[in-house]
Amino acid sequence: MMKVATDIGGTFTDLVAIDENGKLILEKSHTTPPNFDQGVMDVLEKSGVEPGSIQAFFHGTTTIINALTERKGAKTALITTKGFRDILELARGNRPDLFNMVFEKPEPFVPRYLRREVAERVSYRGEIITPLSEEDICKAVEYLKKEQVEAIGVCYINSYANEEHERRTVEKIKELWPEVYVCPSVDITKEWREYERTSTAVLNAYVMPTASSYIDRLGQRLTDTGVCDNRYIMQSNGGTTTFEQAKLTPINVVESGPVAGVFGASILGKMIGEPNVIAFDVGGTTAKCSLIDQGEVKVTTSYYIEKTERSAGYPIMAPVVDIVEIGNGGGSIAWMDDAGSLKVGPKSAGALPGPVAYGKGGTEPTTTDANLIAGRLSAKNFDMEVSLEAVRRALTEKVGNPLGVDADEAAESIIRVADSNMNNALKLISVRRGYDPRDFTMVAFGGGGPMHGPTLARELNIRKVVVPVAASVFSAWGMLMSDIRHDFIQTKIMSFAEASMEELNAMWKAQMEEAASRFGAEGISPEQSVFTFIADMRYVGQEHTVQVNAPAYPWKEEDRAEIMARFHKTHEHFYTFSLPDTPAEIVNLHLVAYGQLSKPALQEIPAQEGDISGALKETRRVFFSGDGWLDTPIYERAGLGFGASAQGPLVVEEPTTATVVCPGQRLTVDKYGNLIVETEVA
Amino acid sequence: MSEKISINPVTLDIVKDSLIAVSNEIFYAFAQTSMSPIIYETLDYASGIADAEGRLLTQGNGVTGFIGMISPMICAVVDKYGKENLNPGDVYIINDPFMGGGTHMSDVGMVMPIFYQGELIAFAGNKAHWSDIGGMAPGSFTTDATNLFQEGMCFSGTKLVDRGQLIEPVWDLMRSNMRYPQVSQGDMWGQISSLRTGEKRIGELCEKYGADVVKGSMERLIAQGELVARRRLKEMPKGTWEMDEYMDDDGHGNPVHLQVKVTITEDEFVADFTGSDPQVIGCVNSGATAAYAGVKVVFMSVVGPELAVNDGVFAPLKTICEQGSVLKANRPAATSCYYESMIYVIDLVWKALAPVFPESLGAGHLLSVCTVLMSGKHQDFGNDYLIIEPTVGGWGASRGHDGQVGQFCVGDGETYNVPVEMAETRYGIRVDEHSLHTDGAGAGEFRGGSGAVRTYRSMNDNQTFTASFGRNKWPVWGAAGGKDGSINYFQFIDADGTVSDPMGIVARRVMNTNDVVRLVTATGGGYGDPLKRPPEKVAMDAKNEYITIAQAEADYGVLLDPETFAVLGLTEERRKAEGR
Repeated sequence: MMKVATDIGGTFTDLVAIDENGKLILEKSHTTPPNFDQGVMDVLEKSGVEPGSIQAFFHGTTTIINALTERKGAKTALITTKGFRDILELARGNRPDLFNMVFEKPEPFVPRYLRREVAERVSYRGEIITPLSEEDICKAVEYLKKEQVEAIGVCYINSYANEEHERRTVEKIKELWPEVYVCPSVDITKEWREYERTSTAVLNAYVMPTASSYIDRLGQRLTDTGVCDNRYIMQSNGGTTTFEQAKLTPINVVESGPVAGVFGASILGKMIGEPNVIAFDVGGTTAKCSLIDQGEVKVTTSYYIEKTERSAGYPIMAPVVDIVEIGNGGGSIAWMDDAGSLKVGPKSAGALPGPVAYGKGGTEPTTTDANLIAGRLSAKNFDMEVSLEAVRRALTEKVGNPLGVDADEAAESIIRVADSNMNNALKLISVRRGYDPRDFTMVAFGGGGPMHGPTLARELNIRKVVVPVAASVFSAWGMLMSDIRHDFIQTKIMSFAEASMEELNAMWKAQMEEAASRFGAEGISPEQSVFTFIADMRYVGQEHTVQVNAPAYPWKEEDRAEIMARFHKTHEHFYTFSLPDTPAEIVNLHLVAYGQLSKPALQEIPAQEGDISGALKETRRVFFSGDGWLDTPIYERAGLGFGASAQGPLVVEEPTTATVVCPGQRLTVDKYGNLIVETEVA
Repeated sequence: MSEKISINPVTLDIVKDSLIAVSNEIFYAFAQTSMSPIIYETLDYASGIADAEGRLLTQGNGVTGFIGMISPMICAVVDKYGKENLNPGDVYIINDPFMGGGTHMSDVGMVMPIFYQGELIAFAGNKAHWSDIGGMAPGSFTTDATNLFQEGMCFSGTKLVDRGQLIEPVWDLMRSNMRYPQVSQGDMWGQISSLRTGEKRIGELCEKYGADVVKGSMERLIAQGELVARRRLKEMPKGTWEMDEYMDDDGHGNPVHLQVKVTITEDEFVADFTGSDPQVIGCVNSGATAAYAGVKVVFMSVVGPELAVNDGVFAPLKTICEQGSVLKANRPAATSCYYESMIYVIDLVWKALAPVFPESLGAGHLLSVCTVLMSGKHQDFGNDYLIIEPTVGGWGASRGHDGQVGQFCVGDGETYNVPVEMAETRYGIRVDEHSLHTDGAGAGEFRGGSGAVRTYRSMNDNQTFTASFGRNKWPVWGAAGGKDGSINYFQFIDADGTVSDPMGIVARRVMNTNDVVRLVTATGGGYGDPLKRPPEKVAMDAKNEYITIAQAEADYGVLLDPETFAVLGLTEERRKAEGR
């Protein structure tokens, strides 16, 4: 019996499978746009996994994010409260590009003529002020039919406080027009802020038809080849959902791939007794990092697509793992700015033409090119013939000459700048949020994570770096380890000192019932269900909240003091101060519901026999930031057994990546085959 | 090794990036903890780091209006006390409109010297709009003030924290003179703690790289800023351009005349406001800052909006105002609404330069912050509430682009409107409508962006409403043959059905239950001849109800089917213009 995960990336579709003995199968195949399901079937076939033996199938997909960013979703309409159809276009009025007088605001996904108003209104407390006009709904539907829209988002003012009108509207639309895709905002979130909720409903509707046809097509092909019905899709919240649920709330799948790696890092951390983890993933175009505190992946609902320093982007109010992403990957281009400073990224050479080293016409030096010249990557480890001379020439021309240095020093400089960029991102998720990196273990993966991770760990005083087996397909591995997860968030502003426990417990109960009913549809039993409880709290008068890990349902009167104490402590942790005499408010109750799935065992690797000289491939000059160029032994990862150990400097190579261990760091291999790099930290 | 590092430009760049990262960190940390909507939604604050000489190195901005105000604030503190009398851990508070980058008194600045191993190495400073600082009106700034003393408490670089210890008597005095001491206390600690974070981070950088490398990277930052600004200045058209205009109102019904002469030479960018009106009885005066900051904003937009803000970039810039004029008033002039003058300055320089820089500057926009201050008691909770917020409106079209709809004015920036759902919870109001103001003004080959409509229904008796909507008398200007946009105004519709005249300024007007105020902002100016707008675009404009069928014909010369919006033909005027 096998568990299989497939993850669609920009260039490759990855597969990781594991059998009941923990044996891993890894496979890669080309991604096949626009029919992404083809790539999935290809990699499945190539892997040799017998479809009938698959007991659970996990999937990560870029279909949804692609449909959004390429504007290939459905012709979408919005139905909203009378007086508010322009909320979507007004947005929040912010202008990140402060001094640009000819800036352009993101264009709404629904043009004005497809935004229709319905008479109805509820107050901020959820009381009905104006009854729902079914006549207006009929008129709107008639109009939208004529306009041949394919999907409709519904979002009313204050629906987070009372969802009745939205629900009834959707019912009525389905009566009048069964074929159209329709989505009420409350299906995704019951958090306040009408623009963000409207945007979320609209974007969800926009991708519903795409998601349905993709999931149905893939599902059909899986069925045809004999794969069983236990099929899950990775969501942005770090958990999975069923294929069926994903068709209703595809917006929850928007960050499908990247979060699986973060989730995998949390699971790996737990397995090796390190619940505090910094997940560090360096791919071709970006570096991503995320902090896992006591085994908990952090989730936020302030997520945007296409938000940059210059653009406000589009908000999606769905739970997404909190990842900081910067434009610094292997393919990131090194360039000189106007003032003569060296920069790396965010522009990337991508897969085509790619780094100069690929010999596919790339002329701009990238981080990968620098790593090659710096001896951290080996030309022999590339799939193709590498012209070192061409790489040196590009480095000299584009970076060396302006800086007045040779190719070697240009490579050093690029690596130092890239490391500095990544270092700032890692600080952003740790030091700047009140965490001491010394308390964390870094899990480094993706093609570039193992190459840069140990150096950065040394800079940041992180004691330990783990380079997992299958580091380059780690996201797919993370999916295999995942549970079903649903987040339920309800906004209700209450003075915490005065809130009645009865009312709070009733809200938790309603959320738990909703979770149970969703789990019922997904075939998850009550025994498999686990809940965690988060209260978003703030001091009265503040706007932003902090997430307080709360006691389990039901809350008792004596829990009040405990929750308050946890709130002060959390506030102090993030913002360096607390205000003990200031009253606090609850803003949201956030229930996280896990449907636990069985986890495969992991296979252990054989013990190292004798010293590791058998794995030595060569010795070459390698550049280390802060130590300069050193003669460095290069080892083959496959030749290292459990218990193998060696002192840096050294490099461990494997087909898709290389782990660069600095002087003063010690490498060991654990029983699962993970490379462990440790630094003595003061 | 260390010798080599001290001269390596890449190391200097890495430290430079770290300084910018520190600046970002202290900027965002503050918004997260603030208790004032004007800070956490409007982002009406700025923070920055300066070198030991007080030269600005990097500034985090939420709004454009605070550009370059951190540095003068630091210099004012140094001038007052002398460097030798500053100590590690000190914090100084400054909101005096007539010294050190002063704006209006609601903007409270704080300055902290940063030492490393006993040596003064840098300063951190920030400035934030406090919800209330005392004075005659809730929210402190108001439209009918006539002198400084009505506008709250004035701090002229007062020491607030001595070697890390809050000076309790100062805070005690403040607390007794403010309407919302709890909120202000939160903001005060937020500001202090963000400065302390800056101090800590700069200390860490010195620890890691050595103080000399950090100082070297500061020099490099400023030198590079100047280098790029001067290079771009050389590429600009050279000449002198003049413009004059009237501001609506000084708060007492008097229009105010402003004029500017902008001269661009090989190595200078000079804005001379000589000839503008003397200071006025109302509160639109400014202590020099309005003109200095306003010119910097336009300068940034033409020199390169993507450039990092530091004192090097501003090296070629010169601003001239006469002492005693409305743009450089004498104490104790009222300055509550100084920001309206600042934005008129921006608009004036913008209008003067629009034909010179068509790629960077389009037609005029709503111009005014359109500030609303509303206070009263919440109908359900009984607590006092205070709305202080700007209002979004239309932006002008530019070459190749229609104007943007529903955006805050140029003086704001990364400013967020308050969601209706939050406003209804927090304040004693209900919003009946928040929509685009589609009056069809601003016709052009590229159409001006629509303004907005927002209504507040009072849910309780005895609430007061204050507002200042500039650009109420003269409409937004069009450019390159585009038509003018419209004006900003508001109007009261009382529960008994009485409808007031549209107006642009009011102080503490009482609103009772079910009285409604309707805020309407201007549509931006058009760009280019409307008869050149492609008919299919005009048809979509009408289908989307940005313009009417009649406007399609009258302004654009396009005849449309009122049912299907199909293009039926062109008017004779348009056909003639197209030479057919």
